[in-house]
Amino acid sequence: MDPRAMAPDPKPGSTDGPPSTRAPNWALALDLGIRMALTVGIGLGGGLLLDNWLKTLPIFTLIGMVLGISAAMVTIWNVARDAMRR
Amino acid sequence: MPEEEAGGESLIHVAISAEEVFQIGPLVVTNSMIGALLASAILLLATWYISRRGSALIPGRLQGVIELPIELLAGIISASTSRWRSYAALILCFFLMILVANWIGLLPGVGTVGINHVEEGHEVLVPIVRPASADLNFTLGLAIISVVMFIYWGIRAHGVGGYLRELMGEPLYLAPLIFPINVISELSRLISLSMRLFGNVFAGEVLLATMLALTTFAAFVYPLALFIPGLFVGLEILFGFVQALVFALLSLTYISTAIAEHHEPGDASDHGETDTAHSSHPPAAEAATT
Repeated sequence: MDPRAMAPDPKPGSTDGPPSTRAPNWALALDLGIRMALTVGIGLGGGLLLDNWLKTLPIFTLIGMVLGISAAMVTIWNVARDAMRR
Repeated sequence: MPEEEAGGESLIHVAISAEEVFQIGPLVVTNSMIGALLASAILLLATWYISRRGSALIPGRLQGVIELPIELLAGIISASTSRWRSYAALILCFFLMILVANWIGLLPGVGTVGINHVEEGHEVLVPIVRPASADLNFTLGLAIISVVMFIYWGIRAHGVGGYLRELMGEPLYLAPLIFPINVISELSRLISLSMRLFGNVFAGEVLLATMLALTTFAAFVYPLALFIPGLFVGLEILFGFVQALVFALLSLTYISTAIAEHHEPGDASDHGETDTAHSSHPPAAEAATT
């Protein structure tokens, strides 16, 4: 094992380290599907909880659903942007 | 709780939540806690043994096998950002802890040796040891550490203002809309990390228990049936490794992207440190690091 990997933190900005590969994008791809479903679920669940609490069904459920779907799109955008940047 | 009945006796007993084994005062000790302690003990013993022996210049077979996955991950971590040394230990710790916690479930006696309890009129076996990663509390704990570290690195690299600005988006008048969207997106990382690991390991446990129960009786007729669970154990070895690698790589990706967030050139001075290796605006990054 490369002993430099366990060495103390170098000064900021230094780029030394063993030459190797970048983190593979398949981990991000695995994450993306679950996160898309989760964002919609979190938005919808949060909206339902608020509606049940405030007795305003279906206002916050609809708002939560729209926010959740938007968050799924933002997540795709962020993951794609990060993957392209790396 | 998936259970299969045969003549009033339970063949498969896999509880979703961890089960109580014993109690020390107010502290309830569950079988997954014993699994986590066992994983920690194995890692500590391995560390003590390896550090006592020292690493040879020309590695032997055992040293080679141990070093191979760690070297692979260390190589990936070192290529992530210029400040990889600060979080390399955390990522490697995630990987090793999850790997050992996953593989503990495949040891003989784990999940099969336990204490008999009577639940709803049926006698069920409560295993003494359960793989820690088959308990949502363990995976959620690891995911919380990962997300807290990712937020910490984001704040350390860009400052509190920079991090909040990233969450609120631009232009500022859209912040009431963008902020909840970004918060939902960030929250999904936490749930995604914890649920994926828990789901995969727990599903593996249920699969192994089911295959063992199905083939136990068939083995009297077809002795070859005993080898069928062996195939699934082989698959679980692979899945345990892949899940540990996925958790570590995602944590690494979250931290490295938090450090190298995209900012306009004028913002660099406000945000403190910016990663030189990954910034899409090299002049701003240079200005921040010099």
